[in-house]
Formats: sequence, C-alpha cells, structure tokens
Amino acid sequence: MLAATIRRLGDWHLAEECAADAFAAAAARWPREGVPDRPGAWLTTVAVNRGRDRLRRGRRGGELLEQIGRDPGRATVSPGAHEIADLENPGATAIPDDRLALIFTCCHPALALEARVALTLRMLGGLSTPEIARAFLVEEAAMAKRLTRAKAKIAAAAIPYRVPAEADLPDRLSGVLAVLYLMFNGGYLTAGGGQLVRVSLCEEAIRLTRILTDLWDRDGEPLGLLALMLFHHSRRATRVDAAGELVRLEDQDRSRWEAPMIAEAQRALERAHTLGPAGPYGLQAAIAGCHARAATAAATDWGQIAALYGQLARILDTPVVALNRAVAVALSGDLTGGLTRLDALDADGTLTGYHLLPAARADLLCRAGRDREAAAAYRRAIGEAPAGPERRFLQRRLATITAGGAARSPTH
Amino acid sequence: MNYLMLVCSDGEPIPAGTDVGAEIDVWIERCGTQRIYGEPLAPPDQAKTVRVRNAMTLISDGPYAETKEFIAGFDLLTCADLDAAVTLAAAHPIARFRSLELRPFPTEVSLDGAAEALAAAVGEPGERFLLMFCVDGIPEAEAVEAAIHAQSRAWGEQQGAADRLVFGSPLQPADTATTVRVRDGQTLLSDGPFVETKEFLAGIAILRCADRDEAVALAAAHPLAAFHRVEVRPFPEA
Repeated sequence: MLAATIRRLGDWHLAEECAADAFAAAAARWPREGVPDRPGAWLTTVAVNRGRDRLRRGRRGGELLEQIGRDPGRATVSPGAHEIADLENPGATAIPDDRLALIFTCCHPALALEARVALTLRMLGGLSTPEIARAFLVEEAAMAKRLTRAKAKIAAAAIPYRVPAEADLPDRLSGVLAVLYLMFNGGYLTAGGGQLVRVSLCEEAIRLTRILTDLWDRDGEPLGLLALMLFHHSRRATRVDAAGELVRLEDQDRSRWEAPMIAEAQRALERAHTLGPAGPYGLQAAIAGCHARAATAAATDWGQIAALYGQLARILDTPVVALNRAVAVALSGDLTGGLTRLDALDADGTLTGYHLLPAARADLLCRAGRDREAAAAYRRAIGEAPAGPERRFLQRRLATITAGGAARSPTH
Repeated sequence: MNYLMLVCSDGEPIPAGTDVGAEIDVWIERCGTQRIYGEPLAPPDQAKTVRVRNAMTLISDGPYAETKEFIAGFDLLTCADLDAAVTLAAAHPIARFRSLELRPFPTEVSLDGAAEALAAAVGEPGERFLLMFCVDGIPEAEAVEAAIHAQSRAWGEQQGAADRLVFGSPLQPADTATTVRVRDGQTLLSDGPFVETKEFLAGIAILRCADRDEAVALAAAHPLAAFHRVEVRPFPEA
C-alpha cells in the first residue's frame, strides 16, 4: 500500500507521512463503519488524496502536481478506480508489483549497503526506525538520519522507482538477493537476546523472494534463496523450546518441522536446478535440504553435505564456509580431519572473536571424548557469544560436560 | 534530471596505447543529446583558490582540496534518471582507470545559446574559467544564509548583464553524489563524492574574463568567498 502510494505521489517522504495518516483515519473509521471491501485500496486512496491535498498547499506543490498530471502511470482522474484496476488486473501495468519496484529502489547500488538494508526493512519490512536502530546496534537518531539521508538521495539524484532495465538486471538482482537474505537473517538474529525468531520479518523476506522467483528464470539463484529460506523457516517452531532456549538442529523434534514448507522448498530447489548450475544460494539450500530430508539426526548424509560445502567453498571462499565444511567433514566420519581444519582456521585468525568457531571445536572435541579440551573451548565460546539464548545454550553444554561422564553423548 | 559529471583523477598515468582522446570522441557521439556540454580543465597546479577575510582577498595556489585526487574535467548531462547517467558515466573511457562523480543539479539546467557562445569563445581573446564554490556544509544563521542567497543571485545577474556568465548553478549536497568506476568490466558504484573531504563542491560557474586576475577578482566578489572558498581553474589553452 505504501509502495502504491509512492508510485502515485512520486515522493517518498510525503507518501510515508500520508500512509501514516491513512492508517490513523482507518483506525478512527473502520471500527464505526466496518472494514471496506478492499482495505488496501481504501488506504492507498486516502493516502494519495491526502498527499495531493498537501502538495496543493505545499511550496513544491505546483511542480510535483504537474509531474503527476504528466505521467499517466502515476495517477489518473480517479485514483480509486485505478487502484481497483490494478488489483483486478495486476499484469496490466508495466510494474508487476509496486513492492518489487520499491525493493529495487531500496537496494539501489548508489546507496550505501547499510542504508539499503535499513531502507528495505523500513519501507518493505515495515519495521519502525527504533527497531531497525536496535537491529543495527546504533542510536535511534543516527538511524533516523541514515534513513532520511537515503530517501533524500533517492529524490535528489533521481534514483528510479522501477524494476531495472534488462541489461542491469543480473547485477541488480544479486544485490537484492543479498539484502533479502540479510532481512531474513535479521528475523532470526534479533539483537539483545530477546525473541529468537521474528516471524513477520522472515515471512516478509520469503514473500518478497517468492515475487522475485516469478519474475526471474534466467538462473536459479532467487529459487535457491527461496528454498534456503523455506528450509530454515520450516524448522522455526523447533529452534527454541518452551522456555525460549535454543535447541540444536540435531535435538529438534523433526515431527514438528513443517512438511508442506519443506516440500515447497524441495520443489523450488528442483526448479532451480533446471535453470543451470547452482550458485551460492542454491548450494546452501541443497545443504539445508540434506538436513530437512533426514528422518533422524543420525540419518543425516554428512558425506553429501561435506561435498556440497566443498563446491560452495570454490565459489564462496569465506572462513564461515570453511568452518561449516570442517564440521561436515568431521561428522561424515573423519573427526580428526575436521578438527585439523578447525585448528587451521583458528590459527589463521580471520574468525577471531566469532563464538561459533570455539563452539564447533568444543562439540567435536566432546564427540572425540576429549572433555577437558572441550570444556576449555566452551569457556572460550561463552566469552565470545552475545548475551542471550546462544550464550545460555553454551553454558548448559559446559555444565553437562563438567558434570561428568554421564553426558558423554552430545545429544542432550 | 540534470547531473554534473566530474571526471576525477588520482594523477596516475593512463596505460600506454590507450587513445583516450579518440575514445572520448566516440563517447560524446554516443551521449547524443544527453550531453549538454563538457570540457577538460587545466591541471590543478594552474588553479588559484580565493577567499575573503576581514575585507582582504587571500589567494592561494592550487585547488580547494589538497588531495591526491583532483577534478580533471566535467560534463553536464541531462538524463531520465540516475541509472541513465550511470550508464553514460560507465561508458566514459576514463571510468576504467579513474572515477567519475555524478552530482545532481537542484533545478533543470540548460545552456541555450550559451553553449554555442562557449564553443565560439575558443581561440578568442576572452579566456574562460571554471569557478568552483567550496563550502564546509555548516549553515550560517538564517538571516546570513538569506543574505548570501540574495547576493549570490545579484552576483549572477551582474555577470550575466556583463555578458561574462556562460553557466552557473548550485549543486545538490555532496551526500547525494554517486561515484562510478569500471574495473574488470564491472560497473562499481559508491555512495558519496569521489573523495571525502571536509569541504565540498556546492556550485559552479563558468565565466569569460579578460584574464586570470579578473576571474580572481570576480570570485572574490562572490558572497561565498567571504565565508568559504572559491577555486578558479582555467580551461586548457586552445
């Protein structure tokens, strides 16, 4: 609805203010008069009308109104009728989805990366400025300034509000995928150890990715990203227990994983394969798929996962991929080989301060029966982990090990 | 939308065997009507930077920003949007070696007959200078800002009446700039101007003057010279 209002008014800031006005009007009228048949259309119409009133009164009004009048795509005599036409015949407009155009604008490479993510969360994810500030661990005033600056640049430098031209699409698309994945992960990694999964943020990222997959069939990466998100999201109910504590993949109740979502992810992955060799998202989705298909943790095909990480490392040579690959190698039966890889990563120093490295090492040492070393690694991981469920999980693991031999098995 | 495209150099030589001049001709052809006008500038060691303090005109050698990078030329572009401007900038031969900054103008820019006058000026006794107004972005009191604004307009009208002003316009703030580079065939964009300095370019004017002294005197007469700095850069000899 905000996206449609922006398209009509051609002014981001104004559209945001008017959208807020429209919601306020709805809050006042809907309880009395009932919710209209097309609430989205109602809100957009109210917001656009409000915007036009303001433009008429405003200093820049003449100029902007003239623009609206000139561009038939932006407005018609009757915005209500136009909106309904859009709803009934979405394929009729040049822009298949206003929100898609909006995400390409929010993710425009002429904006700084942190501004792109913040703007996407604000304009498409619907997060408030204080929420985004918390997610970025910056002051609210600083985040407000960052958002204002980004919107001012969009207006002043004429960053277009549309799906990019054909020639620019491949580059622009990978930028959008990166922002969507950051948004999805933002749903999992809320700052300060509060609620572990922010469902709406994940679902918004999935929704937007799904729209992209309908638009793009030249390679499988949007489908790969969609599959990756769906595989992860299918497990969301089991990631934390009733007390809000983190539950490891191997300890999760697989009967509560969402089978229809896993099936959809699987179909997306298969469709991605028909579009060419897998990219980074496709490979990560294939790995997530190995976990999703295993009936029990013990049945996990770690050999296949280690091979997929090997492929991933060739196109995405990052220390985190190397870390995951080491774990997969260890669990596929080569415990010593996996630990050697981890030690090399530790010595190399690029992951210094990243708690998942000592945590992974602790887990493998524990499996190797080297409890004393495992305990030391857990202590290091606890020192490096952010406060919250992840740190508490590590503390529980340490307590189990130090309690004695009863906890030799790491599955408790 | 109109953009000032600054051709920026870090002083590094262009690899041998690259005929930039010929490539630029091809680029100009490609731009067609999207390029309003453009010129290279004389090297920065020919620049004078002017400021007025306590009614004294202070002139220093060199450009406004004492950085390794410098402005080597400029083009005025008229494009549908930033994507179109980036496409032109990325096609510029210099983009492969150095960087191009795209800075929007706040209002529509046109040269009308002045562009032809400018072209005709080449080889005539009237020399041309680019004035670059550099500010620190810290606003003065409202009344002072209003006075600067009014005096700037009066300055422009005066130059126009004396048939000296070829072109003049303020620019959108530096944080609306986009810097374009092409490396290994990839177009790389970054948010902000080509070099981050405390002072930034806030507007430009092209003047026809009898000589450099006159250009410096006119720069000193601009109200911004009393608060900020004005770089006076000649165009290269014809």
